[in-house]
Amino acid sequence: MAESGHGKVVKLPDRDPKPAFSKEDLVFASEEKKRIAGFVEEYEKPDGAIMKALWLAQEKFGFLHPDVIQLVADEVGIPYAQAYGVATFYTQYYKNKTGKYVLDVCTCFSCQVCGGYDILHYLEEKLEIHKGETTDDGLFTIQEVECLGACGSAPMLQVTNGPYVHHLTREKVDALVDALQNGQMPSFTSITLPQDEDEMGGNRRTDVDKTEAYRTPPVAETVE
Amino acid sequence: MPKVRIDNETYEFEGRPKLLQFCLDIGVELPHFCYHPSMSVPANCRQCLVRVGTPARDRGTGEMQVDEAGNPVIQYFPKLQTSCSLEITDGMVVETHRSSEEVAGAQKDNLEFLLINHPLDCPICDQAGHCPLQIQAYKYGPEGSRFEFDKVHKPKHIRLGPRVVLDGERCINCTRCTRYTSEVSGSHQLTIIERGVRNYPMTPPGTEFDEPYSMNVIDICPVGALTSADFRFKARIWEMSKTPSITVANAKGSNCYYWVKDNLVMKVTPRQNMDVNEYWLADEDRLDYERFNKDRPAGPMINGSAAGWDAAYGEAARLLSSVDPSEVLFIGSPFATVEDNYLLTKLADSLGSPAPQYIRHVEIGKGDDWLITDEKAPNHQGCERLGMSEIDAEIAAARIQTGEIKLVYVLEEDPVVAGVLSASDMDAVKVILHPYNVTNETLHGANVVLPAATIVETVGTFVNIDGHAQRVRPAKAIRGVNRTLVMEMGESRADRHGTPFDRWHNETNLVDCQPGWVSLPEVAERLDIEMAYKGPRQVMEEVAGTVDAFQGATYEAMGLEGVRLMEIGAAV
Ligand code: SF4
Ligand code: FES
Ligand code: FES
Repeated sequence: MAESGHGKVVKLPDRDPKPAFSKEDLVFASEEKKRIAGFVEEYEKPDGAIMKALWLAQEKFGFLHPDVIQLVADEVGIPYAQAYGVATFYTQYYKNKTGKYVLDVCTCFSCQVCGGYDILHYLEEKLEIHKGETTDDGLFTIQEVECLGACGSAPMLQVTNGPYVHHLTREKVDALVDALQNGQMPSFTSITLPQDEDEMGGNRRTDVDKTEAYRTPPVAETVE
Repeated sequence: MPKVRIDNETYEFEGRPKLLQFCLDIGVELPHFCYHPSMSVPANCRQCLVRVGTPARDRGTGEMQVDEAGNPVIQYFPKLQTSCSLEITDGMVVETHRSSEEVAGAQKDNLEFLLINHPLDCPICDQAGHCPLQIQAYKYGPEGSRFEFDKVHKPKHIRLGPRVVLDGERCINCTRCTRYTSEVSGSHQLTIIERGVRNYPMTPPGTEFDEPYSMNVIDICPVGALTSADFRFKARIWEMSKTPSITVANAKGSNCYYWVKDNLVMKVTPRQNMDVNEYWLADEDRLDYERFNKDRPAGPMINGSAAGWDAAYGEAARLLSSVDPSEVLFIGSPFATVEDNYLLTKLADSLGSPAPQYIRHVEIGKGDDWLITDEKAPNHQGCERLGMSEIDAEIAAARIQTGEIKLVYVLEEDPVVAGVLSASDMDAVKVILHPYNVTNETLHGANVVLPAATIVETVGTFVNIDGHAQRVRPAKAIRGVNRTLVMEMGESRADRHGTPFDRWHNETNLVDCQPGWVSLPEVAERLDIEMAYKGPRQVMEEVAGTVDAFQGATYEAMGLEGVRLMEIGAAV
């Protein structure tokens, strides 16, 4: 999804996409159906269950092809259009087949101010793809995303709907790509708050042993 | 009664109205986009902001606090409120942009936001001239924009379905269209996709926006994002006149405006009537206008050759008097007005012929329980109420074949298509026909052709499937001058567009035809039958006064919204 030289161009989604899954594959197992029915029960109206059901489907099918969205909508019992609207709203739902790792670079306000676009463009040049595209080796997809709620450690990115990488610099991007190429996911990193720094090693998470603490570097260093 | 103060004027209110609707009802204009009275209130456009306060109460006693002068102390909400979603409460004080600079400023800023990525292509936009965004930006918006960046470009001229075209860039994401499909029509075919500056309404992949009521989103879209595939770029709004009338593609009698330019109907849009169609029109009603423009007869004819009106009336009268009255079959029409059918009944009666019958047009399964009916003609109720009976095509055809019937007098119908007449019978039987179009298959063998004015060229009454009697008004002129039509046209069109008195008047596309209430009395006169009415208004007065099933259906009573008649057969 290349950007034109001037301004931004929002492309029309493929309105008549080729099927990606066979009819036989495009079903939920009874166990999955049961889980979706469970989601529906949790809410007053079936609408509420759509996000969890889409998530389940994404984990099963890898990405949300329109046929998958239709399947989910039918299972949840809401209109296809409504489910499709939800799926396209969130960048966490992949509408196309992605690479093994999806790098969601935040360019929303705080990250933008702190160099989010520099990081995005650096990554694009490094991997030789544009945002929205996947590398030929099928390893990486880059997405430009809106605020992921970690403005305090801007600029940041998220790896495949998983761990965040904070306070990005070019060096950190290099290291991340190297690690991922070796199959090493970054661990969850907990950002310290100044008031916590002496306590718990700055790590407030309950699953401390699975995460790393990260001390906020002096501001000037990051901005550079 | 509880009171609310708006811009220092006090108003009483009843029930629990929402502020925006209340203001609109009392004639206090407030800018707004996303609010529509028939749908849920998402308050997403933020254009209707006002400053609102409520009387302060003492926390302990619940007493209203008053200042030294004895006036209630007003506590203002810290932020401006969206009037569309705010319920009025007793003693509420409201400041609109008329009395609050803060509100005026907020409305201006909001418009600046809405216009950030708007293409501002009003010069080529169908909506220009009646665009809420354009009008409100002009009235309340900033003079320029501080957002001097490249705009975000979104998909343009996308066919959402066969009848609706989207320009994503013009959309302000008010969600009226998507709410319409989920809350009003129930097709659930549209959704807003993507997010932030990238979003716009779309159908999910593999589907089309093709519901039978899809074109309603074109009117409710407050910008030019949704346009009609059929009407796009055909005319600017200020080049057309609009005439309040009803549609005739089915028997619902949905209220509409006919938009006319150069004596051609260009488009049909809904007209609000809460007793009939509320705010909506079926697509079939909107697309039912080409027959008013195309394939119209060139003028009266006798035995296939062009003739003058006088000669044609004379020939019709001669034919009618050349056979025994009992040998004449009069066919009325559920496409024609009550007035014309009534005059036909009178003509038959005066001659001593059997009463006219009418052809029923039903397509079982075509209707729904909304605005589309199985009944495909607009006025079968009117025919029934006049006491006309439905024709039995087989019996009528047999009587024609045996020579029992020697003359068929047809008002605005096509008996060949209906199977009453066959082309081969036409040699044996004489036919007098008032057709709308040359596509009328009875035309070829007809001895006398008296072209009839269509619903957009006449004055008259139709009764819809629910017994609602409504008037139609002339939307376009016909050739020749008819005082009644000119006067009705002047009344129905504030701009007098198309009448000989207006600056847009032009002679192109005038059809040489006559309303039944002109042609039938002309024929009657030549048979020495008394049928002198001052016009359809007087005909209808007589009908309303003498036929029980039309009690109360005078032009005055019907006005713009019609009157509900008593059920047929109900005790009078
Ligand atoms: S297309 Fe029109 S009606 Fe639909 S969301 Fe956009 S502005 Fe509103
Ligand atoms: S702006 Fe990037 S995480 Fe909030
Ligand atoms: S009309 Fe109130 S927010 Fe849109």
